[in-house]
Amino acid sequence: MEQFDLSKLKGRPAFPFETIAVAISFSPRLEALLSESKRISDKLEANLILIHVGEKTPEKEARLDKLISKLRIDENKCRINWMDGDPVDTILKLCKLNVVDLLILGALSKEKLLKFYLGSIARKISRRAKCSVLLLTNPTEEANRIKRFMVCAEENPKTIHTVNTALYLAKKFNVGEISIVKEVHVPGLAMTMAEDSTAPEANRMRKNFAEADEQELHSVAEKCDKDGITIIEKVIKGKPGYTVSKYARDKKADLLILNSPDTQLGLFDRIFTHDMEYILADLPCNLLIVHSRPH
Amino acid sequence: MTRLTHHELIVFLLAISTMLIFSRVAGELGKKLRLPVVMGELLVGIILGPTILGQLFPDLFTYLFPRTGNVTFAFDGLFSLSVVMLLFVAGMEVQLPLVLKQGKVAIYTSISSMVIPFFTGFAVAWYFPSLFGQTPDSPSHLIFALFLGTALSISALPVIARILMDMNLFKTNIGMIIIASAMVNDLFGWLLFSFILSLSIHHGETMGLGYTILYILGFGIFMLTVGKRIIDKALPWVQTKLSWPGGVLSISLGVCLACAAFTESINIHAILGAFIAGIAIGDSVQLHEKAREIIHQFVTNFFAPLFFVSIGLKVNFIQNFDILIVSIVMILAFIGKVTGASLGAYWGGLKKREALVVGFGMNARGAMEIILGTLALNAGLISAPVFVALIIMALVTSLSSAPLMRKFLD
Repeated sequence: MEQFDLSKLKGRPAFPFETIAVAISFSPRLEALLSESKRISDKLEANLILIHVGEKTPEKEARLDKLISKLRIDENKCRINWMDGDPVDTILKLCKLNVVDLLILGALSKEKLLKFYLGSIARKISRRAKCSVLLLTNPTEEANRIKRFMVCAEENPKTIHTVNTALYLAKKFNVGEISIVKEVHVPGLAMTMAEDSTAPEANRMRKNFAEADEQELHSVAEKCDKDGITIIEKVIKGKPGYTVSKYARDKKADLLILNSPDTQLGLFDRIFTHDMEYILADLPCNLLIVHSRPH
Repeated sequence: MTRLTHHELIVFLLAISTMLIFSRVAGELGKKLRLPVVMGELLVGIILGPTILGQLFPDLFTYLFPRTGNVTFAFDGLFSLSVVMLLFVAGMEVQLPLVLKQGKVAIYTSISSMVIPFFTGFAVAWYFPSLFGQTPDSPSHLIFALFLGTALSISALPVIARILMDMNLFKTNIGMIIIASAMVNDLFGWLLFSFILSLSIHHGETMGLGYTILYILGFGIFMLTVGKRIIDKALPWVQTKLSWPGGVLSISLGVCLACAAFTESINIHAILGAFIAGIAIGDSVQLHEKAREIIHQFVTNFFAPLFFVSIGLKVNFIQNFDILIVSIVMILAFIGKVTGASLGAYWGGLKKREALVVGFGMNARGAMEIILGTLALNAGLISAPVFVALIIMALVTSLSSAPLMRKFLD
């Protein structure tokens, strides 16, 4: 594989998604995954790269050609890469090499316990990718069903880029409204208030925290490029990652959007669960992890 | 079966009642002066104990807190239960994912704020044992040096959290770094202390050093992986199908006591079981915030006052006040912790002044140091003058933390 020039990636904005890669595995869900990817790339006017890591056989080639033709994928805007090697490393390298903006993967909603700790390909890529990753839990051949967007607005400088990416996608998908959700978790608060707070003091403290969080969320919404799209703001209490996942499931969100992790996640982050690992452990819906590249 | 007599039961109940009521009054008065509640509780212990009541009204003191008989056993059981409960709620607030989330600066701060004070304390106790009334050839020389290192490296999450809350720093970057680092300090501090206690209490018994470490690590890893998963699965059922809040309260405390009994049975102190059970339950995503508050309220307002008041009952603070030991412990505590935490924060990427704020924030030892000192005194690891020095150090570091932090805040 040729030497990669990192300068092409550095400072590249989180969106627009000009190049989309799809990792394909010739599973029964291949047609649905390709169909969904085609719809997304058409809406975003992006080039499509299909990546298969594994043996290139005439049967696989024929099946893929047939599907490309059936789904009317524009061959001028689509390229197929047949690769050998470790699936995770190969896909990630190829994404870098081709300056991929969005990588689409099919993923099961829930992994078995052992597989969760060891890591499936889709989840391993999600933890390490240097581009945005879209995990489709239930790809379908039907017309666009991704309508309810929910953004996890954690306290992080990257959040503004993530919300703007969600707004860009909402516009492309003709979605008029998105929700941005802030999770509030204050470790040590219960302990601090148990000792020497009167009931009014404890209530006042809680109220102050709630108001500050609402204000912070509102300021994120204010800074975004809404362009006619309505933003619904919501503050929820609970452990980060787990709470937003549960909320997205309760509200039947179609797409949960969040920041990429600040560091590559490892086994340690699954044992002492990182916020994102709660979501990856049991995907509530399709998941978009937005990677904002530092300038 | 030995029972408390009619008279002993009256004395026992009266003593508990006195401790609870007086400590609450002192705590509320202290609050008006912005002093930590634990300070009021300690003061009540000193007033009711041999230092003041024992000197002024020895008959009343002996009546309320007899030194012999069944009441002492009842007190001993109650105070042991109290310390187990205190460690359980301390563990409930240790959330290791927070440390990883805070990243490099929290990891550097937590490591440096443990290692530097530990070696400062260890080195002084090892090379100058006579300063603390120890001799170099004493069998407890190494254990005492290890203990002093641990005592200086521990932080007190409850008092630190309160200080940060009062200073409106709780949810800031600096606040979260301090909280996360204090959690790590507490975790490793209690692990190390359990190991030291195990070495000292069961000295000469069958269990070797390797087994002690293996058991501590094995139990910790089991509880934080498999145990935590079982708790995650069980808590939703407990919180919805059983009486509220009785169900979650009794099951959580039951798990805590079972873990404490287990660690005690394998010759590691009961506090470790309670502390690890607290981490496993407190870190569960399924634990309702209200349930957490109820457990805290129960322990903090019943067991904590009894425990902290009981400290003053054990020791005569005036007789055992040694200015040299107090000064040495104080200097070591300030130098080790402030330097260690500040350097860690600075190496982690904070500016100098911010790093110093972290350093002084981490310096508050509060209740955790007092619990540690009391357990060490009970185990015969330290002398009464060293214990008194540790208590004074815990109070001074807690009181000085906020004003010193303010000096370096922009």
